[in-house]
Amino acid sequence: MDRIERRARAWRQSHAWGAAVASAAFAWGAHAQEVAGQAAAAASGMAVPTSVSVPQARLDAAARDDKNFLLTNGNYAQTRYYPAKQINTTNVARLKPAFIFQTEVVESMETAPVVVDGVMYITTSYNHIYALDAATGKEFWHYKHKQGPVTTFCCGPNNRGVAVLNDRVFMATLDAKMVALDAKTGKVLWSTQIADPEKGYSETMAPVAVDGKVLIGTNGGEYGVRGFVKAYDANDGKLLWTFYSIPEKGHEGVWAVNDATGRNMLRDIAAEKKTLADKGGDFYQTLGGGVWMAPAVDRESKTVIFVVGNPSPDLYGAERPGDNLYTNSMVAVDLETGAYKWHYQYIAHDVWDLDAASPVILTEAAGKDGKMRKVAIHGGKTGHVYVHDRATGELIRFSEAMIPQENMWVLPTKEGQRMLPGANGGVEWSPMAINPQLRLAYAANLHQPMTYHVEEAKYPGGSKLWLGGAFKVIPGEKQSGRLVAVNIDTGKIAWKFDTDQPLIGGVLATAGGLVFNGEGNGLFRAFDAKTGKKLWEYQCGAGVNAPAVSYSVGGKQYVAVAAGGNTQIDFKRGNSVVVFALP
Amino acid sequence: MAALTAALTAASTLAQPATPPAKAQACAACHGIDGNSTTPLYPVLAGQTTRYLYLQLRDFQEGRRSNELMSPMVAGLTRDEMRELADWFAQQKPRSTGFKPDPEKARLGKLKADETLCTMCHLGGFAGQNEIPRVAGQHRDYIVKQLTDFKQGKRTNDAGNMTSVARTLNEKDIENLANYLGGL
Repeated sequence: MDRIERRARAWRQSHAWGAAVASAAFAWGAHAQEVAGQAAAAASGMAVPTSVSVPQARLDAAARDDKNFLLTNGNYAQTRYYPAKQINTTNVARLKPAFIFQTEVVESMETAPVVVDGVMYITTSYNHIYALDAATGKEFWHYKHKQGPVTTFCCGPNNRGVAVLNDRVFMATLDAKMVALDAKTGKVLWSTQIADPEKGYSETMAPVAVDGKVLIGTNGGEYGVRGFVKAYDANDGKLLWTFYSIPEKGHEGVWAVNDATGRNMLRDIAAEKKTLADKGGDFYQTLGGGVWMAPAVDRESKTVIFVVGNPSPDLYGAERPGDNLYTNSMVAVDLETGAYKWHYQYIAHDVWDLDAASPVILTEAAGKDGKMRKVAIHGGKTGHVYVHDRATGELIRFSEAMIPQENMWVLPTKEGQRMLPGANGGVEWSPMAINPQLRLAYAANLHQPMTYHVEEAKYPGGSKLWLGGAFKVIPGEKQSGRLVAVNIDTGKIAWKFDTDQPLIGGVLATAGGLVFNGEGNGLFRAFDAKTGKKLWEYQCGAGVNAPAVSYSVGGKQYVAVAAGGNTQIDFKRGNSVVVFALP
Repeated sequence: MAALTAALTAASTLAQPATPPAKAQACAACHGIDGNSTTPLYPVLAGQTTRYLYLQLRDFQEGRRSNELMSPMVAGLTRDEMRELADWFAQQKPRSTGFKPDPEKARLGKLKADETLCTMCHLGGFAGQNEIPRVAGQHRDYIVKQLTDFKQGKRTNDAGNMTSVARTLNEKDIENLANYLGGL
């Protein structure tokens, strides 16, 4: 670094400090110092002994990179397809643990490790980051985020991983901050407040770094927030743009009668229109619409494509007449400005918490005329895989139902109404993977029979869970999971593998013809990507409820997955990342 | 237990006050100075999240929750005082209440808790998180009273979540849940 660059960096850092202090001003009393003090925090341990640098060109080439895993979902298209085949259908049965790394936090793990030139970055619940030797498990540094006084999140103190760009790693936190750390040392370079946690905002998603920006959405669909995606300058944490997933005007939409599959959603639209006319539309500020899983980035068209979560409150819809745009939708915005491009809503005026969560995948699939088109696909809590035109959002097809559906869309009552799938899915937040040669998307599904109960509930202020009702599972009815392969050109199910427990955590596909997926009982498995035949499994000792990744170091391919269990479905907790290789 | 450990780890990131704030003396008669009440109808505050305690105080003050003893007690507290009290009691260690649960009732209580997805909000081990209270080891009588109040609509500061859940519980369910949770 020359003198000018050093001076420029010092200037950026001093201004980032200012931004952090200013943004912390709404934190309470003495705690404000803790918030601002983040900029001085450092990781314990030692520096990574090699250089760490991920320029944009490497990130753009991530889909073809058979040594690294540079984004939590593999690449900007989020295919979770790792293009190496040393571990394959012929030898996966011999897969053995190479090492097990234990963190100091025993709680739900949803992290997808990011691996750069033999250095692995993992996160834990409560926002710890570890930098490890990806071949041995040796710990380099360990950063513990010091939470501010308020954290508000519904479903576990999770974190789903870091983003990397150049010499930095980025993590979003439960107290709704973004921190940028030196990838080599763990030193905090800047920290900025994304939103006010006292209003219900928090972060569990992995950010995405692209073109000098760090993209981040928000949790909060259970807290009456106004959802968004924001872009920050990777250099100094300055806010570049905000796209609100709840528009101030027009959130009533088109008063859709049917869902994306053409089924009537039993809305009383006349009553909704009257309510809107009587009370106005100011509830947009608390209408929810969290964007809580990583967005895909279409580099060619400079478009960010993501899905938006449920409206708030989850079950009591009388508070929020209209379609509640852009909740339960796939949305595309401009990468440079955050300007709206298009959206497609799956469920208007959702009162079942069937929000869109599983990350968007960008790929190609046959159009209705059989010609290949650039598409964006999403696995829904409804149990369908949806295939959209990438340029317009037009729905090209939806898959066969992957799990049982019953009584859709019966309205919740005080006494409770049964409807399948339950509020957790179909496909919950779990990222899907695809195999572009086989034309298959792999989706981890839950079958969790539930009754839906509604209860009138006014907005309680931005710091309390605001469901306006409850979900209950049904005694005596078995809950289960199903890994499903869907042909994206036809929507037909190619194969399925049933599991004892509902599946939550995500999928990895590899060029070795394999699909990896874990279960809450601790079993991590490999399947033949073409047939669904189980080829290997290993008991990890705690729930495998995180998406696996793969990478290579020194010519050896590894598969890594976190085994820490899950808060939401109460799977056995742990604190390990288990890394496998061939003997 | 694992979840509890993690939750306490997170809580410990707050500054640890060495002595109770002055206003805590007023709480001590019912809740104990360390938040371990010995009267079954007064809740154990020790080990609750600071967020939950602060919000309950705020709700009492602003009338979203009412109790003939608590409402006047919090009427004059400032926001910082409520924060200090919440921090203090959150950082105290909960002790066993000595409650001996009926094993069969506790078994049925666990089944009902599973069915009602309680841990989705209250966290594994019922340790509580954010604005959701720790109910593990809470007094049996207090649990019965709160669930009954939610069921009867006497307590309504829950944004519709607990009132909705409690509506589906009968008296036996509540008794069983109280045995299960009180014995954790």
